Amino acid sequence: MPRIVREAGITWEGNVARGAGAITAASSGAFSGLGYSAATRSGNPEGKTSPEELLAAAHGGCFAMSLASELTQAGTPPERLEVRCVITMDEVEGKGHQIVHSEIDAHGVVPGCDEAAFAQAAEAADARCPFSALIRASATVTVNTSMR
Amino acid sequence: MATDRTATVTWQGSLMEGAGTVHEVGSGAFGPLDVSWPSRAEQPNGKTSPEELIAAAHASCFAMALAHALAQAGTPAQQLDTSATVTFQPGEGITRIALSVRGTVPGLDEAGFAEKATGAKAGCPVSKALAGVPEITLDASLA
Repeated sequence: MPRIVREAGITWEGNVARGAGAITAASSGAFSGLGYSAATRSGNPEGKTSPEELLAAAHGGCFAMSLASELTQAGTPPERLEVRCVITMDEVEGKGHQIVHSEIDAHGVVPGCDEAAFAQAAEAADARCPFSALIRASATVTVNTSMR
Repeated sequence: MATDRTATVTWQGSLMEGAGTVHEVGSGAFGPLDVSWPSRAEQPNGKTSPEELIAAAHASCFAMALAHALAQAGTPAQQLDTSATVTFQPGEGITRIALSVRGTVPGLDEAGFAEKATGAKAGCPVSKALAGVPEITLDASLA
């Protein structure tokens, strides 16, 4: 399969304390000009996204697709998956700010699949999602599952 | 103090024929955004993907870290234009991220700018989280 290339562009004006930036999805155009700042990154978001929120969306999206793939391969394609991802950034002594944790909650409506098989598929999805593997460079990853 | 940021994604159906949505993010800044395997692996057709979201996360983190370093050195940036290009090889994972920045920074020469950009690339939290990417390149110059 050919390589996949995706690009995003940012414009930043000014210093950190009073400056602000804008984030655009350059490849797809799916979003553009999303504002962000230091204050809204670490404090109350006030309607503004941040690098960590984008990581949460990336990890949640990557995991959902991996889980759909695992369930399909097991012969039980999902009717519906709901994946919630929470990314935590914290100050680590001697290392500055780091992404320390990604918590995934996967809820599934999967005909013919029981709780144990769903948990097993989620474990396999975590192992195969490229983003799960990468983020372990600085973060722990936890995956919780539930079914209806 | 720890900072949490949340996103929820829904998916319906198999990987190849199904489709999903980055349904909601905690800030409410964007969404719902559609995602699918064909638009992730082939032409985006207006849809974002995990790789594009990682590009946005990395470029925005890098820009903020560089703005911080420049301000601390007494030469705050007037403007920084950064981009991140993420290369994903199905079956292998993310093989390359190319960071690029053009800066307007009064009172700073090319060498000084390159040094700050290299430091920001190494130190920003997203870079540290993505340290396992085999190749992260940087192209930095003054505008």
